[in-house]
Formats: sequence, structure tokens, C-alpha cells
Amino acid sequence: MSEAVSIRRRGFIDALPLFVPAFPFGLVIGLAVVESGMNKLVGWSSAPLIFGGAAQLTLISLLGSGAAVAAAITAALVVNARHVMYSAALAPTFQRQPRWFRWLGPYVLIDQLFALVSVRVDDDPDVFRTYYLTAGFTFWALWLITVATGLFVGPIVPVEWNLGFAVPIMFIGLIVIGIGRWPQTIAAIVGAGITYVAAGLPSRTGLLVGALVGVMAGTIAERFKK
Amino acid sequence: MIDLVAIAIVGLGTYFSRALFIVVLANRRIPDPVLVSLQFVAPAVLAALVVALLIDEDGAVAIGIPELAAFAVGGGVAYKTRSHIWTLVAGMTVYWVVRAVL
Repeated sequence: MSEAVSIRRRGFIDALPLFVPAFPFGLVIGLAVVESGMNKLVGWSSAPLIFGGAAQLTLISLLGSGAAVAAAITAALVVNARHVMYSAALAPTFQRQPRWFRWLGPYVLIDQLFALVSVRVDDDPDVFRTYYLTAGFTFWALWLITVATGLFVGPIVPVEWNLGFAVPIMFIGLIVIGIGRWPQTIAAIVGAGITYVAAGLPSRTGLLVGALVGVMAGTIAERFKK
Repeated sequence: MIDLVAIAIVGLGTYFSRALFIVVLANRRIPDPVLVSLQFVAPAVLAALVVALLIDEDGAVAIGIPELAAFAVGGGVAYKTRSHIWTLVAGMTVYWVVRAVL
């Protein structure tokens, strides 16, 4: 029993430093909810319902900017499509787990948790499960609290500060920090450029065109690399 | 109400993308061409988003010197520090300072 306690402690302690970068992100999402003018409780519910910062910020900022709802939903879903890779990478490990955990586990499978557990896939299944759940739900609880904090901070910040600009700044950070290889840089530049050219399209659908062409450009660049 | 529905749809879709191989396709692998393209999804969409968020009601892109300066410095700081906190602090500071000076 004491072993389980020490694994839980380990999962909790490992999660804390990885949450630090997510903290300003959660605050900005809270601010974006306030700026978008949507019901605050509804906006906050994106934390437990989506539990993914980039998709939450994408959806909320686009809904608040008057984009077509379908375009906002599509963009947010596409942003989170990278999770399919995590799912595939952990699938063999999850095969040795009970059914309830195979259903619950994916709910908290965010970037940080994947980074933590991907080096523990050869652990004993019980140890892996305990560690995964502890770290995952530590992130989860901290995230719900942080987004709520952003909701309360938002209204006391003066409008002239234009704090909404923090949203594109966060996206720039996500892009730069997430890029590991130059074809990804091409995907980003082409994605932005085509969206700029297509800015006149109705309901911000230019964003989807830009994203699609950006992915194609990255894929082509990858071919030329070889 | 429509906001809540949109959030719920994205929530379901996100869960699905995380659960796809763990729950449904446990014995399948992602085809290599798909795997290659997937790594370009996040940078392309996020870059497109930055531009989309700066489009005003008339469909014109409203990017001035303060925004460009903030992106350049924020991007540079992100590259150097790999830190969201410093990126946010640097980007917003530059944005406020340049806007006040101009």
C-alpha cells in the first residue's frame, strides 16, 4: 500500500513543474472568455469539457470575434487533431489496462501528461495506471482553478490595456515552441500567408483554407527534404 | 446556448481524437503519410489563427507596427527561452510600449 502512496506522490510532484507554463495560458483563456462576452460559466465549462488549452482558446476567441460557429468548431477540432498521435503511441500500453481505464485515461491525455507517461510505458500496469491518473488529474484540477482565476482577473483589468492581444501572443509562443523542424516552419508561414490573402472570405473561413494549404505545404516540404 | 453546444462538440471531438487508438483501433497503426501530415496541423492552424484573429469586421487585416513588433519580440523570446510566461511578458510589454510611443 505504501508503494501506491509513493507512486501517487511521484505523479503529483512530476506534474507541478510541467503545469507552470500552462498557468499563464489558463489565465489568458479566462480573459478570452470575458472578452468574448459569452456566459462566463459556459466559457469556464470548456475547461472540464474540452480540457485542452489550444482548442479552448481557438474556439472561444473565434466565437467571440464573430466567426461562423461551424468554422470555429472545425478550427478547434483541427488544432487538437495532434492528440491522435498520442493515442496511437500509448495504445499498446493501454491494452494491458482494465476497460474502465481505457475509457477514462484519454480524457486527460494532454501534451504534458503524454510527455510524462511516454517514458513509463514499460512500468508494471498497476504502477502505470496509478501514476497516469494522479498526474493527469493533478493537471486537471489545477487547470480548472486557473481558468476560473482568469475569469475573475479579466473584469478588473482596464479595457485600454487591450489584454485580448495576449491571445495571438500566446499562439505565437505555441507555434515557436512547438516547431522542431523546418518543414513545420513552412507550414506555419504558408498557413498565415494564405489566411492573410483569404481574409476577405466570409465568417473567417479563410482560416480553414490557410490551415489546409499550410499542412499541404509542410507535407510537400517534407518530401523535398529527402 | 449555441456557445455551450459548440464547446460540447469540441469536447467530444477532442476526447475522440485522444481515445481513437486506445479504445477503438487498439491494433491498428496510423499510416505513415497521415503521420507525416499530422505534425504540420498544429503550426499551420495556429499561424492561420493569429492572422484570423487580427481581421476586423470589414475583412481587412489590422496589423500595425505595435502588433508586428510584439510578434517579433515575443517569437524571439519564445525561441530563446521556450517559456510561455516570458513570451507573454515580453510580447505584451513591447506591444504596450510601442503603442504608447507611436
